[in-house]
Amino acid sequence: MWDLALKNILRNRTRTILTVLGILIGIGSIVALGSIAEGIDASVQSSLQLTASKITVQPAGSGLFSIGNDVTQEDLDLLQGIGGVQDIVPVVIDLGNIQSFSGPEYIVIGIEPDKTQYFVGENVEMYQGRPLEEGDSGAAMIGSTIAERYNIQVGDSWTVQDEDFEIVGIIEETGISDIDASILVTLEDLQAVLETDSYYSVYVIPDDVKDTEKIAAEIEDASEDLQALTSQEIARQASEIVDQIRFFTFGIGAIAAFVGGLGVMNTMIMAVLERRREIGVMKAIGATNRMVLTQILTESALISLIGGLGGIGLGMGASFLLSAGFGGQITPVVTPVLALEGLSFALFLGVIGGLYPARKASKLDPVEALRYE
Amino acid sequence: MNKQTKKPEAKGPENVIRTKGVMKCYGEEGKCVVTVLQDVNVGIERGSFVSIMGPSGSGKTTLLDIIGCLLKPTQGEVFIDGVRTADLSDDELAEIRREKIGFIFQQYNLIPSISAMENVEISLRIAGKSNWEARDKAKRLLEMVGLKDRLKNRPSELSGGEQQRVAIARALANDPKIILGDEPTGNLDTKTGELILDILKDLNEKEGYTIVVVTHDPRIAKHTHKIINLLDGRVVREDHNGKKA
Repeated sequence: MWDLALKNILRNRTRTILTVLGILIGIGSIVALGSIAEGIDASVQSSLQLTASKITVQPAGSGLFSIGNDVTQEDLDLLQGIGGVQDIVPVVIDLGNIQSFSGPEYIVIGIEPDKTQYFVGENVEMYQGRPLEEGDSGAAMIGSTIAERYNIQVGDSWTVQDEDFEIVGIIEETGISDIDASILVTLEDLQAVLETDSYYSVYVIPDDVKDTEKIAAEIEDASEDLQALTSQEIARQASEIVDQIRFFTFGIGAIAAFVGGLGVMNTMIMAVLERRREIGVMKAIGATNRMVLTQILTESALISLIGGLGGIGLGMGASFLLSAGFGGQITPVVTPVLALEGLSFALFLGVIGGLYPARKASKLDPVEALRYE
Repeated sequence: MNKQTKKPEAKGPENVIRTKGVMKCYGEEGKCVVTVLQDVNVGIERGSFVSIMGPSGSGKTTLLDIIGCLLKPTQGEVFIDGVRTADLSDDELAEIRREKIGFIFQQYNLIPSISAMENVEISLRIAGKSNWEARDKAKRLLEMVGLKDRLKNRPSELSGGEQQRVAIARALANDPKIILGDEPTGNLDTKTGELILDILKDLNEKEGYTIVVVTHDPRIAKHTHKIINLLDGRVVREDHNGKKA
């Protein structure tokens, strides 16, 4: 019956195209917005790889993405007293060029030069120049995305809060957006520039990975003002946030798609009305109510499937354009699951939208329908 | 169907269609406001060609719809090929229409968006035939009614007579026992009407189909074995034209 369904929906091409467009735009926005959520997920996942066994200490209640540099010197002293710790890495952060939609374009990190490995990883290679070194002042090491975006060479300068820094090294691309879009300067320099003596967060590296949870608990016991997040905890919180974003983006897209579904319903109601006589004939020659129902449902499903496939295409295109707009921090991705979600939602809308007209058609009295002019 | 008496009910030729006290009326909630048919008792023999005549409003078409299981009588019983239709569900009635009955209409009622072939195929597909089988048979039937060169044409590209021949092919698709025609020549000029009548006569005489047509054209009626005359919803007279009476 698919062949007949196709012929039927092509009878009124303009109407069908408009109806398909309604679904297409809805599913397109589901896929495009969803791809941003997936991009955020991928970006979060990749940065989590770095946090393998480190404990991130932040002010209590600051959540995953706190903005202030609110860990005090006192807190740091307190952390020094905790046993079983290999290293303590205080970090200061300045979020650069925050754009309302795509988040910060880059992050300036203040970190002690001999401890940069806790932020960029052990085996990071330099693309150009050298890493930060002890005794550096007014020096910066930058990620590849930044270098590319602002066309920066070693020796160029970079301004943080009116203070000029000389670029001494560019890190080879890592694929981890947190690193590729970051600018590393010394802890002292950034604290001076930001006029603060406190920290954004402190990484605590346990001697033994097995003690991670124990040490985290110990830190939280020692100070009410601090929260100690282990990588598992961070991963859990991150996935919660990503899930919320997913839900939210799907919600927005779903509204658009739902309107498309109403379009399908409208089109099918018109089609059934126009084809009353024909439906009467189908019944006269022996079609059961169920066959008529299936026929109309097949047509509305076909319209919405075409819209769904087109929508996935549109979503992919939009996602591609968006990833250019985000400039590396987040790369929107259309995962197969997302595409499948879009397609199933389209089909769902088609069937729901087609149900009422299909039922109407199946209940048509053949005698009345045949005499209908 | 669990009647013990299995002996054939009549001595003469078997009635493939039989109505017993059929009454049809329309009105709201069970009340009879307009009575269209009253106490109609007719028998139509297997293999006969019968016409139903009467002025407009006499209930001809309603009777045909009831015989064709498109409409349920308000009272009375209808037997099609030995099956009592009164207690059948919608789906079972559809099955009877599919397997035992072929319809031809005055307006041809072909589906406009598809070709002559596909119009015939659809009847076969509804009956569950495979795509391939349907195509093969639709082609043979259209060749039989002389439309070999018009297979791919849409209804709008065919003359009235050609459209009606497609409709005949469609009616024959599932090898029904009975062909019902509602003014099958009503929209056609005399010459084309005669051509259609010839096809129907051939189907009756050579292939043994039972044919019932509603008509107000005496020239058609005179070719049939029996004329059932209706007036104000009642059978007023049955004329026999010899042969199979």
